[in-house]
Amino acid sequence: MTATRAHTSEAPSGAPRSSAPGVLDFARRNGVLLALAATIVLFSALRPEIFPTLDNVETMLRQLAPLAIAAFGLTVVLVMNDFDLSLGAMIGLGGTTAIVLMSNTGMSFVLAIVLALGVGVLVGLANGFAVAWAGASSFVITLAMGTILQGVEYQISNQQPVFQNIPESYKELANASLFGLSSQVYVALGIFVVLFVLLERAEIGRYMYAIGGNIEAARLSGIRVRELRVLGFVITALCSTVAGILLSSQAGQSSPDVGIPYLLPVFAAVFLGSTAIKVGKFNILGTLVGALFLQVISTGLILLELKPAIVNIVQGGILAGAVLLARLDRANARG
Amino acid sequence: MPAADVSQHDEREVLARAEGLRKAYPGLVAVDDVDFEIRAGEVVGLLGKNGAGKSTLIKLMVGVQRADAGRLELLGQEVDLNHHGAANARALGLAVMFQELEIFPGMSVAENVGLASRPPRRLGLVDYRRLHRTVREVLDTVDPEIDSEATIDTLSPAQQRAVMIARAVYQGARLLVLDEPTTSLTAREIDALHALVRRLAERGNAVVYVSHRLEEIMQVTDRVVVMRDGEVVGEMGTGRTTIRGLIATITGNEDGTTAAERRVEKGVGTRPLGPVRLRVSELRRREVLHDVSFDVHAGEILGIGGLVGSGRTELLRALFGADPADGGTIAVDGRELRISSPRDAIDAGIVLLPEDRRHQGLVDTFGIRENVTLATLPAFRAGRLPMPSKRSERSATVELMEGLSMRARGPEQLVAHLSGGTQQKVVIAKWMLRQGQLLMFDEPTQGIDVDAKAEVYALMERFAEGGASVVLVSSEFSELVAVCDRVVVLREGTVVRTLAGAEVTEAAITDACYAGTAPA
Repeated sequence: MTATRAHTSEAPSGAPRSSAPGVLDFARRNGVLLALAATIVLFSALRPEIFPTLDNVETMLRQLAPLAIAAFGLTVVLVMNDFDLSLGAMIGLGGTTAIVLMSNTGMSFVLAIVLALGVGVLVGLANGFAVAWAGASSFVITLAMGTILQGVEYQISNQQPVFQNIPESYKELANASLFGLSSQVYVALGIFVVLFVLLERAEIGRYMYAIGGNIEAARLSGIRVRELRVLGFVITALCSTVAGILLSSQAGQSSPDVGIPYLLPVFAAVFLGSTAIKVGKFNILGTLVGALFLQVISTGLILLELKPAIVNIVQGGILAGAVLLARLDRANARG
Repeated sequence: MPAADVSQHDEREVLARAEGLRKAYPGLVAVDDVDFEIRAGEVVGLLGKNGAGKSTLIKLMVGVQRADAGRLELLGQEVDLNHHGAANARALGLAVMFQELEIFPGMSVAENVGLASRPPRRLGLVDYRRLHRTVREVLDTVDPEIDSEATIDTLSPAQQRAVMIARAVYQGARLLVLDEPTTSLTAREIDALHALVRRLAERGNAVVYVSHRLEEIMQVTDRVVVMRDGEVVGEMGTGRTTIRGLIATITGNEDGTTAAERRVEKGVGTRPLGPVRLRVSELRRREVLHDVSFDVHAGEILGIGGLVGSGRTELLRALFGADPADGGTIAVDGRELRISSPRDAIDAGIVLLPEDRRHQGLVDTFGIRENVTLATLPAFRAGRLPMPSKRSERSATVELMEGLSMRARGPEQLVAHLSGGTQQKVVIAKWMLRQGQLLMFDEPTQGIDVDAKAEVYALMERFAEGGASVVLVSSEFSELVAVCDRVVVLREGTVVRTLAGAEVTEAAITDACYAGTAPA
């Protein structure tokens, strides 16, 4: 019989377990990063003449930018435990608004972009007020909002591609490059830095995580819960609008149904990201990793000339796997 | 050597027997070589401070945690500790009811009782008629007043608790473990619950009753088992001990002081009162508060007594702006305030330590530091930008942790992993940084152990001595007697009596709760 409370040295179960964690724990904590590294190595080995080239890296980063931008925005609402399912439609409407304004009125591209961003802010405010003030479920409200936005996009574009009278300067925005990298990458980087500082360094970010952790405790601590939730929806809608503008600028036109296909990959990137860096928490750096991972997989699989069906199955499988891994991690932590 | 008053020639059936049960976590032996025996017909109190090992012991019995060593027998059957789990425990006849009610909201009482286990079926579907009939039979023995067809949400917490017990009985449980079962119950409901516990025991079942409320332990149990640091340190017939003796065994100290003694010793209620800090006049809110008026002085600890549903929590929440008042006035230092959100209250120097710290006081996903600084984050800016400096947050947190003697691994430890008492200290620390002028504590010692309670009292006294005003809501009237200079008693949303000085006794408070409107 042990007389007093025993400390670390004596705990029998501690000893055998403590040798393994070094490696295992590292693997679990950095699973997504390791998988990302492994896939890069794998694809580089399988397609050494294409995959590990500067050209391909440039292409991947450019393709990745709009998705990453929308995913950065989505991270902010998810941190507060809200959903935004309208972001796919917002990506479409963002680009179409700018294009249609320029095409129909001959408006300058700067003003068109400002107005499109203004529409994004309004949509974010509408989502935010419905959720934070009226108490609606963000899941349902943003689903409805997405349907509305899609209807609006169809209405203003007649559900046709719009490409007449688009100023060259608008098309150049997303097609320009600097130091060999697309301008889109710099926009994404800029938004990343801003949101990283906001979520990880600023008071507001701490408050947002508090809201996500326990909304009532946050309110009783004097945090402006409703205002911050609205802010989150505005940021998400703005990021989606930017993504939409970049896509339409790159194509030099708007086409219906450009945005909706982004909805699921954007969510996938953020959820994948929540299993990286700060495991179990939505975090902006993780979102970046998640988006990179998705891009590497899809580019790599296409380079391997696999059928799109296989690409979908592999991407979906990876997301499910990563989320399950993160769950396991937490279940283990609980004991 | 006093002979053990049970077990010697006990012929009663053994419902549970443990030998050498042990469970260690890295750095801590939670349950250390514990033996016990529970026989049919017994009500056994399980006592100990938070972290003494009670919860772990229960979890080992029910298989939520796996024991490292030892033997466990339930209803005469040896349990394979490696393949033990909740389903197995239930099949053997052990039911554990934790503090939080495990109900299925929106479903009927009968469904809550019967659906979790083999409901009667007909043609492969649930036979509701037979379900209601069989549930009715069980309910008649538990609480005949409960309607089996009522939606569970419409019942009082006490009735819901009874339904949980009915479910256990329905599932054939012989050994019931009740963990802090009387939280948020009124005195009358507690009596009813105790009567039910006795009935269950008389019918040949056994009940393990876990509680920090020693008065209840004295009332309802036959025998007590006291744990400390993972070991059983005392086992005695309830009739052979006193509250003071229990406190001494629980803490390992020789002296166990009662509330009234503490009051006299510390000179509570004889201190000179400062000027009026808070004046509340004719405060109203919907159906819960009607015309509440009282004053709180600087340097005073004011208690608010009353039964559950008398409006105590609602009053604090109205003063804090969490559920703002509909009418009446709140003035601090003579200045009338409009408080429509917690932010308004905090700006005016009013803070609330809420009743339900898990759900209202703490952010589970945060560590101690982030919880402690949450309400005062701008004070930790490194420069002019609104960005907190983690270093200065950490040093402030460490200082508070030492000042409050918090037991934790460090300032970054997740609050979810702390004991109840330490969690409460985290909430207190958060508001100590705010330097509030009026601190309102709602049930601050609920679910925390004797030592931590004493520390919370000392803290409240420290606040008052520093010139702040403290308002304390507690269901344990002994607590109000122990620390409050004056006590305001609420009933049905109205102040029915104000007690001061030597008038503050448990009897007087209880009397006011039920008797109502005697002159103050």
